[in-house]
Amino acid sequence: MNDTLTCENLSKSYGGVAAVRDVGFTVAPGEAYGLLGPNGAGKTTTISMLVGLLKPDTGTVVVGGADLAADPMAAKAKIGYVPQEIALYPDLTGRENLRFFCRLFGLPRREVRGRVEEVLDLVGLADRADAKLDTYSGGMKRRINIGAALLHRPELLILDEPTVGVDPQSRKSILDGLERLVADGMALLYTSHYMEEVERVCDRIAIVDHGSIVAEGTRHELVELVGGADRIELTLDGDVDTAVDKLRGLGGVTEAVRTAAGSVRLIAEGGRYLLPSVISTVDGIAAVTAVEVVEPDLEATFLHLTGSTLRD
Amino acid sequence: MLRPLLTVSALELRTRVRDRTALIIAIIVPVAMATLFGVALGGDDPPLRATVGMVDLDGGEFPAGVRREVMASTELDGVLTLRDLPSREQAQSALDAGDIGAAIVFPAGFSASVGAGEGGRVGVLTSADTPLAGVVANAVVDRISSLVRARTLAVRASLDAGVPAAEVKEFVERNGAAGPALTLENDPMAGGRVDLSVYYGAGMAALFAFFVVGASFRGLLIERKQGTLDRMRAGPIHGWVPIAGKAVVGFALAMVSVCVTWVSSVLIFGSTWGDPVAVFALLLAHVLAATAITMLVASRARTDAQADGVIMVISFVAAFFGGSLVPLYTLPDVLQKIALFTPNAWTTTGLTGLAGSGAGLASVAVPIGVLCAIAVAAFGLAAAGFRKGLLG
Repeated sequence: MNDTLTCENLSKSYGGVAAVRDVGFTVAPGEAYGLLGPNGAGKTTTISMLVGLLKPDTGTVVVGGADLAADPMAAKAKIGYVPQEIALYPDLTGRENLRFFCRLFGLPRREVRGRVEEVLDLVGLADRADAKLDTYSGGMKRRINIGAALLHRPELLILDEPTVGVDPQSRKSILDGLERLVADGMALLYTSHYMEEVERVCDRIAIVDHGSIVAEGTRHELVELVGGADRIELTLDGDVDTAVDKLRGLGGVTEAVRTAAGSVRLIAEGGRYLLPSVISTVDGIAAVTAVEVVEPDLEATFLHLTGSTLRD
Repeated sequence: MLRPLLTVSALELRTRVRDRTALIIAIIVPVAMATLFGVALGGDDPPLRATVGMVDLDGGEFPAGVRREVMASTELDGVLTLRDLPSREQAQSALDAGDIGAAIVFPAGFSASVGAGEGGRVGVLTSADTPLAGVVANAVVDRISSLVRARTLAVRASLDAGVPAAEVKEFVERNGAAGPALTLENDPMAGGRVDLSVYYGAGMAALFAFFVVGASFRGLLIERKQGTLDRMRAGPIHGWVPIAGKAVVGFALAMVSVCVTWVSSVLIFGSTWGDPVAVFALLLAHVLAATAITMLVASRARTDAQADGVIMVISFVAAFFGGSLVPLYTLPDVLQKIALFTPNAWTTTGLTGLAGSGAGLASVAVPIGVLCAIAVAAFGLAAAGFRKGLLG
């Protein structure tokens, strides 16, 4: 089956500073693909090139067989774009907003009313459709923001941080809805710096840092990259530097770094079994006031690959 | 292409109509300002007291008739003062020194020549610094020329009919052909009056056209800020649709604004702006230029606040140098030259000329041409700016 989205060698620079470097990936029909990276990693620039808002310096984008550069109208007709901000008119009602974008994107006049109602049902806002958008809660705004991208029945839905600033209940509702869309065969490109969202929604994930994809694969494949090592977060009270030196010499510990005043991070094979040895190693040097063992996850993978946490 | 454009325009129109402030700026303020200026500075009279020099090298009945009628005219009482000067050279010196605003020169033998059916030419000296005095002097001379032509025709016809030359003068006057007496009507300006309600009406229309059309482009930058512009551009529409959709509405509302100012001036003051087709064409060209200039600002501005500020500055600078706020002829020469770069100057001058002369569309071809050239240049630069920025 042909991929819904194929992008190759995408690059974009501003004044000699590379924002995106040689990015390429594919998204198949019914697949959810995640771009995971901290703020400033180049996710939004990449998306802007994919939806035609920015011209790439190099590279190609093909959506549903249509080349974005050669036939932008055909390619854009297959894309639903959900921007990071609530890109709708606050002084219009939800229904008026959807009706406007239906007409703008060329839905036949006779289909507009029906499609607006369908989308309102889909995002669970039929009962608030005639209220002005500026009276909506943050979660409702996010939902209708997604709904506006679905009006023209796109093959590919591109979401740029779609859950920023919403409460957990609304977030769950949004993620449930996205999973239903994927189950129905829509391709999804999802960017976020929320690890748990990407892990939940996406089939494949690209880790983006400094404008490049540093790793790509399923969650399992990415976690394998750190070799199954656990992460141990210690909080110590005492001579922390000496404790870190001692811990570096402990068998099984591959990495020991001081991350804050009294905080130490260890990467260790079978970390949970090593915990008694860790505590005895620092005994007399520093008191262990807190300890957390984190099994291999995307956070650890990200840390391993980029040297920083997602929320840095 | 057309349906998305109409969709954007419909939303823009709805937004603007819902916004009471926009309505006030488009309709109420320009009409109120034009009315206040018109009332405060006098409705019908020219804004200057004109002193016109009179050089009578003829000493005959025609110059005497002119002097008599001017002195007797209630319309020109207190407005036009005649000052006798002995020669054309001294009249020119007085004009150069600013002592007089214009001069009428009757050459020697003028009355005799006209009486003999040989016609005659009256000279007029004018200065760019005192255009209204020049208009008054020319209007007087136009009237004299009509009389001269009528008198010449009557004398020649009488001679051809066999009336002896010695009896022609008496024969013509006895039979009611144009006599030497000159009758100045209440309205000394051919075709209408140079009226302050027209002058300031035109000025306010020219000024507020910038604000009205500028609001649409400010809206474009607000849409960029709130993300709706990117959402539109990411959809299957041409990148120019949002810009064109807003431009169309801004242009249309600005046309409504200038036309309402025009009509209200006519209704409130009974003013005559001149040939309606020519006035409309000139206003259309002005609004086109204002649309292009504000579009250019929007294409280069980073924020709506920045665009707002720049449009405000450009509007007032163009209004000041272009004679929308103070009459052009009161500005020093150098500023009058700078005024030629503003659309307001061409619009105000064109409209004032139409009101003062009763001329038609052809008489404002140059102002319309210049305004269209300004529009084309600004549209070109705006397109380049949008391609580099907003649509880049």
